[in-house]
Amino acid sequence: MTGAGALSPTESEKHLIRSGGSAARLLALNLFRDEHRRTLDTIYGARDAEAYASLLGAFAATLDERVAPESKRFDAEAGGIATSRRAMFEQGLCAMPFDSNGGLSLPFGVYCLAMELAGAADASTAMSVGIHNTVAEGIFRFGSDAQRSSVFEDLIKGRRLASFSLTEPSSGSDASNMSTLATREGSGYTINGTKTFITNAGEADLYLVFAKTGDGHSAFIVERDNAGISFGPDIPKLGMKGSRTAEVRLQDCRVSADSLVGAEGRALEYVKAMLNASRIVMGSICVGIALTAYTQAVRYSTQRELFHQRLSDSPVTREKIADMRTSITAARLSCMHASRLKDLGRDFASEAAQAKLLSTEMAVEVCDRAIQMFGGYGYTDSDVHRHWRDARLLTIGEGASEVLRGLIAARELSAFR
Amino acid sequence: MNIAVCVKHAVDEAELRADSSGKPQLQGALAKMASFDRNAIEEALRQKEAVTGTVTVIGLGGADQKKTLKEALAMGCDRAVAIAAATNRELDALSTAYFLSRGVQRAGQVDLVFLAEGASDTYHGLVGPMLAAWLDLPFVGYARKLAIEGGKLKAEVSLDERTEAVETSLPAVVSVVSEINTPRYPTLLQIMQASKKPMEEVPLESLEDQRAPSESVRVMGTKMVPTNRKKVIYEGPAEETARKLVDALKTEGMV
Repeated sequence: MTGAGALSPTESEKHLIRSGGSAARLLALNLFRDEHRRTLDTIYGARDAEAYASLLGAFAATLDERVAPESKRFDAEAGGIATSRRAMFEQGLCAMPFDSNGGLSLPFGVYCLAMELAGAADASTAMSVGIHNTVAEGIFRFGSDAQRSSVFEDLIKGRRLASFSLTEPSSGSDASNMSTLATREGSGYTINGTKTFITNAGEADLYLVFAKTGDGHSAFIVERDNAGISFGPDIPKLGMKGSRTAEVRLQDCRVSADSLVGAEGRALEYVKAMLNASRIVMGSICVGIALTAYTQAVRYSTQRELFHQRLSDSPVTREKIADMRTSITAARLSCMHASRLKDLGRDFASEAAQAKLLSTEMAVEVCDRAIQMFGGYGYTDSDVHRHWRDARLLTIGEGASEVLRGLIAARELSAFR
Repeated sequence: MNIAVCVKHAVDEAELRADSSGKPQLQGALAKMASFDRNAIEEALRQKEAVTGTVTVIGLGGADQKKTLKEALAMGCDRAVAIAAATNRELDALSTAYFLSRGVQRAGQVDLVFLAEGASDTYHGLVGPMLAAWLDLPFVGYARKLAIEGGKLKAEVSLDERTEAVETSLPAVVSVVSEINTPRYPTLLQIMQASKKPMEEVPLESLEDQRAPSESVRVMGTKMVPTNRKKVIYEGPAEETARKLVDALKTEGMV
């Protein structure tokens, strides 16, 4: 801690440190507008870019009013995101990337920029909604017509909340090693097993549960009020505290044959497809987290005086600002590139992995530098370390960095064999 | 019920910055729908939804005002009339009210005209009563609650130290205060659909006639009003400082 009077922050600097930068947040969301328009312009052309940017601008304004001011509280209280999730649902965020059954038929990249805004406003809510929509994507692509017209439409309109239940205590990245078992009994299935680190567990109305069936794996929709499903207590976390994470326990949980999503035995294929899309979304959330921390830090640097000059006048700080800015832009473009490939129907598995790897590690790095720019206050009573704690989860969840590197390298090496 | 709402694409007062001499930088300043206009639109939509009818939103300004009109359409207004003025043309309240009255006439036979108590940038509060005068209709200002009963408008209006209950025949012009309602947020779908709703563009010059008033007010200059905050900090145990804070707020007449 600095002790010398000349180096102590002024009253207004203290206010800036403690306020959590709510004004900076507003500024961040304003900053996004022009950035998004310019990015969209290069991908979709000026005319569509204008329309998409105005949609995103309206969405940002809603987040500014209804979500961002609550974000610090969600972290402090470790919960309470239901109303901010509702705000995102009501806006139609989840309907954006789907082209039928009530979808808004917008490009996946526009949806990802909206998720970036959501991540900037509150990372916990954005992650909860993003995972919910991964389930919607799975049911949309692999579900039956009946599941599409009932469950899927409920999900994208936010009438019901979903949870993606894959990870187990002894199988994370190696999903094929799961031990949850679904056995065919009469006209339905009986599921037994435990899932862990499940986002939205206990709060969600339905669970997309993955289980072994015979030689393969299958996906089932299990309702919260189904007999045989129960939930563990909230698991304390380093960050993303607003979202709920818990175990999903299945004990002689009977589901009907209608609950099966897609074909029996093919669920691991579905998981890969769902995660490919979800990885771009998680990358985009990280771009939003990084931009929020970056904006707070830059704003602070223009007001904090040190050694008779503003922090922002120091070459060392300027180097940090330039590097942070450049890496944020690169990560966003990587997410947009993978999104565009997805929309064009091309293979995007490697690009999605690259987008997530780059964006999540970038966010941790940018938030780390933001803490550094706040100095001792970054480590203590400022709000800036929250963003680091939030971003840190996403280098682990939805495909850990190591797994993504393995996937990318395998793709690359296959071209040399 | 046919309703007109007048809105303004106004300078975003929260984003306004002053230059080193203290003069507000109006050139290139961010603009948005004036804050209380959303309450006026919300009230118009609620009154329409209680029965049936249409809501026409009317704006007067440069090309940029279409953003505000689109937002109004996304909230649920049925059509828009954009009175297009050259960006360098400065209109005083009397002229603004006159041209808006001509816009209202384009909306056809209306039962109600809504606007905000004042625009969030200039906050003159003059256009409402002047508009009523140009339209030769009764005016209810600062409404915080209203109902249509038996073909009459009953309103509770907020005045400085008191609230009054008033009643008038229809059609009428009503200005609302922000307490009257909580405006809705348009969904992404509504925003996308808004671009398909009709927006009529009317050049301001086409509305100029013998009745149009000549400019009677000239803006000599604009200055920022400095706000001096007291910045009082109470230190000590929470209970003691909380009590001190409440006492201070009482002394200031804040609570």
